Amino acid sequence: MLTGREIVKTLKTKFDKHILEAEEKVSNQVFVRIVPDALIPVICFLNQTLSPRFLINAATDMVREDGKYVVSYIFSLDTEKIFLCIQMAVNAADPAIDSITPIIAGANWSERETRDLVGINLRNHPDPRRLVLADDWPDGVYPLRKDFPYDYKPPSELQNKVALKKPPQGTKVIPIGPFYPVLEEPAYFKLFVDGETIVDCDYRGFYSHRGIEKIAESKLTYNQICFIAERICGICGFIHSTCYCEAVERAAVIEVPLRAHYIRTIMLELERIHSHLLWLGIAVHIIGFDTLLMQSWRIREPVMWLCEKISGNRKTYGMNLIGGVRRDIPSDIHDEVIRVVERIERETLEVIDAVVEDTSLHLRLKDVGILTEEVARSICTVGPTVRGSDIPIDSRVDHPYAAYDLIDFEVAVETGCDIWARTLVRLKETIEAVKIIKQCLLEMPDGPIMGQVMEEIPPGREAICCVEAPRGEAIHYVLTGEDNRPHRWRVRAPTYANLQCVPYIIKGEHIADVPIIVGSLDPCYSCTERMAVVNVKTGAEKIYTKEEIIKR
Amino acid sequence: MFFSKLKQVLICLKAGRVTLPYPYKPSPPPEGFRGKLKVDIDKCIGCAGCANVCPPGAIEVIDFDEGWRRIQFHLTRCISCGRCEEVCPEQAVKLTDEFELSTSTKEDLTVTIEIYMDTCQRCTRCFKPKHPLDKMMITGFRE
Repeated sequence: MLTGREIVKTLKTKFDKHILEAEEKVSNQVFVRIVPDALIPVICFLNQTLSPRFLINAATDMVREDGKYVVSYIFSLDTEKIFLCIQMAVNAADPAIDSITPIIAGANWSERETRDLVGINLRNHPDPRRLVLADDWPDGVYPLRKDFPYDYKPPSELQNKVALKKPPQGTKVIPIGPFYPVLEEPAYFKLFVDGETIVDCDYRGFYSHRGIEKIAESKLTYNQICFIAERICGICGFIHSTCYCEAVERAAVIEVPLRAHYIRTIMLELERIHSHLLWLGIAVHIIGFDTLLMQSWRIREPVMWLCEKISGNRKTYGMNLIGGVRRDIPSDIHDEVIRVVERIERETLEVIDAVVEDTSLHLRLKDVGILTEEVARSICTVGPTVRGSDIPIDSRVDHPYAAYDLIDFEVAVETGCDIWARTLVRLKETIEAVKIIKQCLLEMPDGPIMGQVMEEIPPGREAICCVEAPRGEAIHYVLTGEDNRPHRWRVRAPTYANLQCVPYIIKGEHIADVPIIVGSLDPCYSCTERMAVVNVKTGAEKIYTKEEIIKR
Repeated sequence: MFFSKLKQVLICLKAGRVTLPYPYKPSPPPEGFRGKLKVDIDKCIGCAGCANVCPPGAIEVIDFDEGWRRIQFHLTRCISCGRCEEVCPEQAVKLTDEFELSTSTKEDLTVTIEIYMDTCQRCTRCFKPKHPLDKMMITGFRE
């Protein structure tokens, strides 16, 4: 196991000429500035020696400061428990970098996003289609550049529509989504099928991209962003606000009281309990077992009431601020918390006991949606999805945040690689979460819940935070800036990483299994789309444009 | 298989009926609930601290006439985070436990208060006089 300093030393001896700067800016976070041409050799070297796991890349507009765009590739070194950030400055006149997607398949979406939003062109990218921007967004307009006003609406240009893949020879097209009754949140999957079997698929999403990073960087202040971060997800909102706050606190070196860390941990685990029970309900609803949907949501409801009592609302607790939390969990409520979570534990165990031997569930869930360890590693999948494939990645252990470094718990891992394994992982985590909450309440020290925040957070500091959401790792990268707001705030929700493995895990499966396979990733996306109509007799496909739909 | 189904039936029977009779019977929220906000005009000094911290920008401050400041709380935008309550130096803003906000007229969800303040001779913007009695000395006081 190497320390941050040793990693810097290794890289410096190997790439002496190409490394401009290498430093452990925050504890366990190594930032290495390289020349852009050295990206591919450095990544190849890292792949051979340290086996890094790609998380995200972020492009920052620094044109006003030094006439360059800075692209950061963020990796996690799981055994070393270190974040490694490879940064390079690209000339503003011709911003282009070599794509690392041919080496690390999981970087596909992330690289396309930097191209779409900041305009960093990619050389040798295998699939350089538009990803994030809307179909009618004009070319050459990059919303995350600093010269783009946050409230500017560019004129619509419909000819920029993303061309989805053509169906392979001998296959038919089955569209799933954008409004599909079973997948409650809209997404568009274009399945290429041969009879009942899926040959390939294409995905178009990001209809719900609302540009919160832009508004945070240009209008809101540090403490206001906590609340918009909480609204990234309707289920795991507290995770995002914790992740954002911890990233800022690490960057600005703000001391957070231990009690606040414990309160954050308790709320995060309460959120994990209700998210997993919600997922269980939705998953069995997809396969038509509504009895369990009703029962798992009934079991979940007391957690929502408990959260309402602690924070003042069922969801969107609004508890986090930079430096600590806003509401305490007073000692007179501890008994109630323990009573509620113990009841959840008892009832969840009853449910587990009742469903593990249910052969009708086995028929739908076992050996379906196989995610092999190899695919999971290359796509950089995270969370229970990957823990169901025998890869013990859990950022609560790998990159401890809040009070997790002080708490004993087990990481649930299953070896089945199928949907059943992912289900068992989630059920085990629900039980484990109860233990964590009880442990937290027992060990929670007295003291303040809000730390001393200095007047101004200095600009130019950067840090990464990674929080284990119920769906996987949420990652926030913050570069502090002037005017009491970050210069760059990059968010990656776990589904971003998980959804990229869908083409691999539905290949060779039946059409009827697609909803539960996609559902088994616990996906989290939403919003509007165009309409695809397939003529059943001829198999010909016609896509109606927005104008035609309005005319009808 | 058979025993699994039997256990599932038992879980359902044990739970029984759990649906609450709301809205036929009221369902009061717990203490500390963050609901509709309420402003006490007598306490408000018009400092606009709440408007400064409000994450969704739901609080609007307009200096519409000489010495008059209008503060509008647009509850349609309000996310009930309670930051205004937290920063208010006079405890003029409070979050109540009222949560049934649906209405057919949007105006019902706008709280407007108008406060008479002193005018700065230099920048002509409003500020609060030092003493509450001071504002009674100003010509044209109408509160």
